[in-house]
Amino acid sequence: MSHDSHGHGGDAVGFHAPHVVPSMLFFKVLVALLFLTFITVAVSRVDFGSANMLVAMGIASVKAALVMTFFMHLKWDTPINNIAILSSFLFLSLLFIFTLADISTRSATDPALNEVAPVLDYRERWGLLEH
Amino acid sequence: MGGVFALMIRLHLWNPNTNPTDGLFEPDTYNQIFTLHGAFMVFMFIIPAIPGALGNLVLPLQLGAKDVALPRLNLSSFYLWLIGTILAVGAIVWGGVDTGWTFYTPYSIYNDRSVILMGAAVFLIGFSSIFTGLNFIVTVHKLRAPGLTWFRLPLFIWAIYATSVLQVLATPVLGITLLLLVFEHVYGIGIFDPQLGGDPVLFQHMFWFYSHPAVYIMILPAMGVISDVITVHSRKPLFGYKMIAFSSISIAVISFLVWGHHMFTSGQSEFAMFAFSFLTFFVGVPTAIKVFSWVATIWQGSIILSNPMLYALAFLIIFTIGGLTGIFLAILNLDIHLHDTYFVVAHFHYVMMGSTAVGLFAGVHHWWPKFLGKTYSRFWSRVACALIFIGFNVTFFPQFIMGAQGMPRRYASYMEEYQPYHQLSTIGAFVLGLGILIMVGYFLHSLFAGKPAARNQWGGVTLEWQSPSPPPLENFDEDPVWVGEVYDYSHLKAEEMSR
Amino acid sequence: MSDGHALPTTPTPAGFVPHEVAHHYNSHVQEYQSWKLAFWLFLATEIMLFGGLFAAYFVYHDLYPETFRVGGQQLDWRMGSLNTAILLCSSFTMALGVRAAQTSEKGKMLTYMILTVAGAAGFMVVKYFEYTAKFSHGLFPGAYFNPHGAYADAFAGLSGANIFFGLYFTMTGIHGLHVLIGAGLILWMIKRGAAGRYHSGHYLPVDIAGLYWHLVDLIWIFLFPLLYLVP
Repeated sequence: MSHDSHGHGGDAVGFHAPHVVPSMLFFKVLVALLFLTFITVAVSRVDFGSANMLVAMGIASVKAALVMTFFMHLKWDTPINNIAILSSFLFLSLLFIFTLADISTRSATDPALNEVAPVLDYRERWGLLEH
Repeated sequence: MGGVFALMIRLHLWNPNTNPTDGLFEPDTYNQIFTLHGAFMVFMFIIPAIPGALGNLVLPLQLGAKDVALPRLNLSSFYLWLIGTILAVGAIVWGGVDTGWTFYTPYSIYNDRSVILMGAAVFLIGFSSIFTGLNFIVTVHKLRAPGLTWFRLPLFIWAIYATSVLQVLATPVLGITLLLLVFEHVYGIGIFDPQLGGDPVLFQHMFWFYSHPAVYIMILPAMGVISDVITVHSRKPLFGYKMIAFSSISIAVISFLVWGHHMFTSGQSEFAMFAFSFLTFFVGVPTAIKVFSWVATIWQGSIILSNPMLYALAFLIIFTIGGLTGIFLAILNLDIHLHDTYFVVAHFHYVMMGSTAVGLFAGVHHWWPKFLGKTYSRFWSRVACALIFIGFNVTFFPQFIMGAQGMPRRYASYMEEYQPYHQLSTIGAFVLGLGILIMVGYFLHSLFAGKPAARNQWGGVTLEWQSPSPPPLENFDEDPVWVGEVYDYSHLKAEEMSR
Repeated sequence: MSDGHALPTTPTPAGFVPHEVAHHYNSHVQEYQSWKLAFWLFLATEIMLFGGLFAAYFVYHDLYPETFRVGGQQLDWRMGSLNTAILLCSSFTMALGVRAAQTSEKGKMLTYMILTVAGAAGFMVVKYFEYTAKFSHGLFPGAYFNPHGAYADAFAGLSGANIFFGLYFTMTGIHGLHVLIGAGLILWMIKRGAAGRYHSGHYLPVDIAGLYWHLVDLIWIFLFPLLYLVP
C-alpha cells in the first residue's frame, strides 16, 4: 500500500488540514441570529392573515440557513455534503406538499369528510385519570 | 420463518372454511399469521436481504475498496437488526399482532399492546436499514478505486446507491410514524385516533411515504443484480448502460411522488387521488427502459445458461408480469375494483417474491463461488431453479384470476367458487417450498464438500473477479486500479469466454 | 498488509496524542471526508424524522387553526425566547470550541465546550419549569388532557386541544432527548479532549459533536415560532 511509507509526521498529500474561520465571523452570525429571534417575536404580534405562517417560516429558514452556512461550515464544505443535507429538505417538502394537498382539498369532494369528529372522553380505556 | 407462515396460510386456505371455525386455524390466529408473514418478510427479510447480505460483500469488492467506509457502523446495523428481530419474536409471544404488516390506524391503536413491541422492533430495524444505506452511499462516494469513475461503476453499484438514498431519506419517516403509533398506545397523543380528533389517513400518508419507496428499496437491488448477471453470462456489454444507471436514480426519485396510490379507497381527496394516479404511470418509464435494455443485452450475446442466468431469465419473465399488472393497479377506477383483492396480492408477490427473491437467488448463485471459493451442484441447482419458477407461477397466477373475480385478501374463509384456484395456489406454494429446500440442501453440501472455485468462475470483468476466491481479509492482494471502460469483454481470454 | 506495520498518523502538535488513520482508508482525507459525509447523511435522516412530526403539526394546524392559536397562548413565549437565546449562544460557543480544536488550543476548546454543556443544562432547567407548570394546569398530552379552571375555559368549544398539547410534548420531548444526547456527546469530547486527543491533526469527533449540537439548535429554530407564537 502506497501510504505505508509514511510514519509519524503524516502524509503531505493525504492529510486533511483544518479550515479555520475567524472567531469574529461567528460572533456576527450570533448577533444576526439573536436579532432575527427578536424579529420572530415581533412579527408574531402583527397579523398578516394567511401569510402569517409563510412569514414565520421564512424568518426561521433564514436563521437555519445562517446556522448551517457558518456554524456548520457548509459554506466551506464539499458539494456532496451540501447536497446531502439539502436533499433532506427537498424530500421533506414533498411529504408536506402532498399531505397538505390531500388535507386541504378534501372539502372539495365531500364536506362530511371534513367535519371534525366529536372528541370522546374515553380515557377510562386504561382505567386511568379518575379525577 | 416468513416462509413457514406462508405455507400455513396456504394450508389453511385449502378449504373454503365457510364456517369460520372449520379451518386449520381460528380466524384470529389466521390474522396473526398473515401479519407475521408480511411483517417478517418485508422488514426482516426482503428489505435487508440484498443490501445486507450481498451488498456488504459485493459492493466493496466491485469498488476495489478494502472494506465498507464505516465497518463498525455496519456491525451496529447488524446488531440493531438482531435486536429488532428478537423484539418482533417477543411480540408474537406477548400475544401476537393481527393488524397486517401495515399497522393501519385506528385498528392498531385499539388492539393488543404487542403492537408497541412490534413498532419498536420495526423502528430498530429501520435504523439498521438507514445505517446500511448511509454506509453504502459514503463507500461509493469516497472509496472507489483510482480510475473507477461514476460511469464505469457496475450497475449493481448504481442500483444499490439508489436504494441507499431511499433508505436514508424515507426510513426516518417510518420511524417517527411508528414512534407516534407507540405514543398513541402510551399516552393517546391522538393524532391518528379519530376518537381524539385525529386523522387516521395521516398515518397512511406517513406510512406510505416510507413504504412506497420501500417497494423500490426491495426491487432496485434485485434489478442491479440482474443487470450484472445478464451482462456477464451473455458476454456482452450492457445495452444502454447510462440509461439503466439513470433509470435507477429516477425510479428512486419518482418513488417519493406516488405513495398515495396505496390509498385510493381510504378517503383522501379526489384531487390527491388524481395526482397520485397520474404520477404513478411515470414509474413505468424507467422500469420499461431497464427491461428493454436487458432484453437487448441478451440479444445476440454468447449466452451461457448457467444457474445465475437461469434465475435472471426467470426474473425477466416474472418481473414483466408483475410490472405490467402494476399499471392496471395505477389506473384509478380499476384500482377501486381491485383494491384489497388477491389481484394486489398476486401483483406484489410477483414483484417482491418473484422478482426480488429470484434476483437474490441469482445474485447468491452468481457470487457464491467468489465468496466461499466453492462450487455447487450444477444438476440440483437447475432442478431447484425449475421448481421455484414453476411453483411460483402456479402459486400466484391463479391469484390474479381470483382477485379480478373479487376474492378479497386477508380473509380466513371464502366462497366455494374460489376453491380450485386456492387449491392450485397451495400446491404451487409447496412446490416452491420444495425448490427452496433443495437449494438449501446443495448450498450446505457445497459449503462442506464443494470443489474449489476459480478466481473468475463466470468470466466477469468487474473488479470483484480480480480478487482471489474467497477474497482475503482486505479483499485484494494489491490495491486495484481500474483501466478502461465498464463491461468490456473484448480482452477476455478465450477459455474464459467459453466457460 | 498492515500487519506488523505502524499505521500512518497525522501531524501532531507537541503534547497531543497522535491519530492513526484506520487501516481500510487510503488517506486521512478519505477518512475525514467519509465520516463527514456519513454524519451529514445522518443529520438528513434526523431532519426527515422530525419532518414527520412537522407534517403532523401542519396538518392539524390546518384542521384546528383556532385551537392552535389558543394553545400557543398557553405557552410562555418569554420562556421560549429565553431558551432560543440559550441555544443560539451555546451553538456559538460550540462553533468556537470546534475552532479551538482546529487550532490545537486545548484550554480554550475545553472552556467553550463546558460553556456549551452549561447552555444545554440551562435549556433543560427552563424546560423543566415549563413542563411542571403545564402539568399543574392539567395541560397533559393527548388522552390525558384535562385542563383546570381558566385553562378549561380557554379551550371551551374548541376541539383538538389534546392534539396541540400532544404535539407540543412529543416534539419538545424528542427535541429535549436530542439536547441530552448532544450534551452527553460533548461531555465525552471534553473527557477525551482533556486527554489531548483532539488537535489540528484530528478534530473530527469534536467537529461531529458540534454538527449534532447545531442540528439541535436548527430544529428548535423551527419549533419555537410554531409552538410558542402559533402563526
